[in-house]
Amino acid sequence: MGRRGSLLFRLQLLWLLLLFAPRCGAEGVPLHQRLDEIIARKVSAGAQTAIADDAEFFRRVWLDLAGRIPSAETTRAFLADAAADKRTRAIDDLLVAPTYAKHMQQAFHVMLMERRGDNEYWQKFLQAAFTENKPWDSMVQAMLEPQPSQDDHQGASFFLTRRLEKYGQNPVDHPGLTRDIGRLFLGVDLQCAQCHDHLFVADYKQLDFQGLLAVTQTLKPGKADPGPLVSEKPMTAKLEFVSVFDPTPHATGPRIPWGKEFEIPQDLPKDNTYSPLALVASDLPSADNPRFSRNIANRIWHLMLGRGLVEPLDSHHADNPPTHPELLELLAAEIVEHQFDLKWLFREIALSDTYQRSSRWPDADVQNVEQQQYNVAIPRRLSAEQTLDSFVQAIAGSTPESAQAEILSRLNPLFVAALASPAREHEDHRHPSVQSALFFANDGDLLASMERQQGNLIDRLMTIKDDVSLADELYLAIVSRLPSDQERTELISFLAEQTDQREARLLHWMWAMLASTEFHVNH
Amino acid sequence: MSKSPLCRPHEHRLSRRRLLGVGAAASGLGSLLSPVVAEELRGNDRQVLCIWLDGGMSQLESWDPKPNTQFGGPFRAIPTSVPGIHVSELLPKTAQQMHHLAVLRSVCTQDNSHSAGVARINRGDPKDRGVVYPYLGSAVAKLMGPTQSGLPPYVWVKPGSGGFKTDDAGFLGPAYGALALGDAKPPANLLPHSSLTSEDYQLRQELRTRFNERFGQRRLNDEVAADTSVYEIAQALMRRMDLFDESQISAKDTERYGTHELGRHLLMGRRLIEAGVRFVKVNSYHWDSHGDHFNSSDCLHRQFDQPFAALIEDLADRSLLDNVLVIVLSEFGRTPRINSHCGRDHWPEAWSVAMAGCGLQKGAVVGATNALGTFVDGQEHDIGHLFHTWFQALGIPQDHMEYMNHGQPLPVAHDDCSAIAELLS
Repeated sequence: MGRRGSLLFRLQLLWLLLLFAPRCGAEGVPLHQRLDEIIARKVSAGAQTAIADDAEFFRRVWLDLAGRIPSAETTRAFLADAAADKRTRAIDDLLVAPTYAKHMQQAFHVMLMERRGDNEYWQKFLQAAFTENKPWDSMVQAMLEPQPSQDDHQGASFFLTRRLEKYGQNPVDHPGLTRDIGRLFLGVDLQCAQCHDHLFVADYKQLDFQGLLAVTQTLKPGKADPGPLVSEKPMTAKLEFVSVFDPTPHATGPRIPWGKEFEIPQDLPKDNTYSPLALVASDLPSADNPRFSRNIANRIWHLMLGRGLVEPLDSHHADNPPTHPELLELLAAEIVEHQFDLKWLFREIALSDTYQRSSRWPDADVQNVEQQQYNVAIPRRLSAEQTLDSFVQAIAGSTPESAQAEILSRLNPLFVAALASPAREHEDHRHPSVQSALFFANDGDLLASMERQQGNLIDRLMTIKDDVSLADELYLAIVSRLPSDQERTELISFLAEQTDQREARLLHWMWAMLASTEFHVNH
Repeated sequence: MSKSPLCRPHEHRLSRRRLLGVGAAASGLGSLLSPVVAEELRGNDRQVLCIWLDGGMSQLESWDPKPNTQFGGPFRAIPTSVPGIHVSELLPKTAQQMHHLAVLRSVCTQDNSHSAGVARINRGDPKDRGVVYPYLGSAVAKLMGPTQSGLPPYVWVKPGSGGFKTDDAGFLGPAYGALALGDAKPPANLLPHSSLTSEDYQLRQELRTRFNERFGQRRLNDEVAADTSVYEIAQALMRRMDLFDESQISAKDTERYGTHELGRHLLMGRRLIEAGVRFVKVNSYHWDSHGDHFNSSDCLHRQFDQPFAALIEDLADRSLLDNVLVIVLSEFGRTPRINSHCGRDHWPEAWSVAMAGCGLQKGAVVGATNALGTFVDGQEHDIGHLFHTWFQALGIPQDHMEYMNHGQPLPVAHDDCSAIAELLS
């Protein structure tokens, strides 16, 4: 099985090279056009949705690049703008706004730490990294290196140190840390290969896991001053292991999965300069490691499109090919070519027709929709943070910043408790729960925050006498689009039913919009 | 298709092809069983009440007494409502319900540590396929879904904190976790907000539903369906606020079940079953009696005996026992050898599991240990056999049932085990 798997893999690579080689020379054609071309090849003519209208596009790109919905005012201005290049400008504006770094800091914190807790210096590291658009390979180097090589790497070690702490009655989970390095940076879940070569995945070998474990098992949290630090116990011998299926003993020195084994020196240098972790930190996140570039290309694609080209995101292997192998290779090659510039890749994807497609099918025959072919935009549930930031934008976006900050800090723990996954679970695909439903329906703080206060949404709406303008403002504020004629009429007659209950009835309508699927997904 | 005479005709409706063929279509919630199958199983009204005695109940002071033997301990065996069957004198009330029970005395499992044993027994020890299998409650929630009541399919009554506990769900994903009622109290945000009348509340839900229907038009409606499902369950739960109203408990029930923790929690368990929860787990802790075992058994086993007997009696009286499977489970039994602290240690080699209800024999003892109670005499049964037995008793045709995990078919119970025919009616 192993041999057949690797042969297939090589054939596939060869095929990819053949297909892909002439396109590399396609000088001057921007990535977003080339990716559209690849996507279009698999979609039969007409079997795709139209490009999203301005409102759908604008809300989507705000949620993806700023982490929240736009204000009613911003949306209004965008809709009124007649310039042909307004989408490109909107993308570029979002990429330079402080909200970009803030949102990416949050999104990558959840992706990398999986709700294991937080650290001030770690947040500073992420924030600085996304503010200055630090290349992804340097970011990962910072997370893995034993000593911060630059001032702004303070805090990056939290990725390691948090995983080197005990939680509950569980001992320090070195195999778990090894697995996470594989999952998050290489897109491979080597858990099964801890005890034996993977039974179903020919390319996941026990040696790959153990070689990395040889490094991680020497790690412990160092004295934190001021940020988190990791320290290494000296390694003097190879790590011995046996398969649970075969008692033949094996041993390995430090090794990056699918990489070469590093020598362990006969005599450790007196100045303790031999650091297996430093070897991993410099060689794993590099342009020479194709799994590293494919993983980040796939993860950025997933963040923007709601589905990885390889799914699950940590199951890259020969028997689980990408839906669009050529595209993944292209994205990976291009991100390397652009020195792991994440902002550049976000921009190119946002500019593509594939990203800008509507989530709405042109006719009722939804059966023909093939989400994995990207012939339609895939609605994706918002994270707890995106939901909270959008909620506060909608209800209090027009109040002073201090008032917004106060609501945000009060509601943050509640939203996270109700919407986020538990610790140590990835959030690649999110689902609502009974807990989140009860929270939205009944939580006192949440409901109170919607009530009328100086300058907030309901207060603003109550001052609008013209019902058509009111409907427009309400829909722009919450679902970032204008209401349809039918929605306008329904709202107006709903309010007219009990004119003395205008505020209460408006609040009911607002609540229902804020609890609706439309508000809770990026569509 | 199984030709076992033990299967009922309705169990044969599902074929392997149908199960596997549509797995990929249901990608929205974890790509597992097809919706068609789930619908059919939803029509099934069988339920489970599982009592977990954490730490390990001693079989010798309960279901498999060995009085007047080397390891038998100080307690006597007493006759039960079934002639010829004896249990420990620490279960006098349960003894009177023996005609409803089925006891398996030949349980032989593998882990003698709590950390490994709890998970292994709860997961039914399927073959290792590199995934974390669900606990029994999450498995039943997945395989059978909520009942017609619309209440959450898996509710866990436990001492301490409540909330939505997702650890039990394993690879099924957090959606199949348990709604935990800490000390039988309601979950957070269950109470409608005081500022809203029930008409207000109704109005809000109607508007939300209308908006969602509109949004779902001409879109793949996975996300709308997911919201509809969780809001429906939340509302079903809110309609049953009475479950948490202690004033509705009769004085007679309080007396029969007892006012101690396990008594109150088992009474809540019965009420949840009556309300239509698919799977109820009730946990009790502190059964790990390494020291002073006989005094603590005298206390603990009686705390179990009183409400358990009341529970069985009530379920039988209300004809619920035909549809409800009751299971009494621990991570292992306790050693025959009595240690120097007058305690019994961990003993997975030979212990007992008691059960009652749907699809099972009544008044039966299956399997036996040797005269000293040290090992199983005859056929041993592991937890895998019990999972097969329970799935079969519930009408889940396990021979043909697999989870689909990202295209990987996973048997719901251990491939090498099968149901224990003698336990099934």
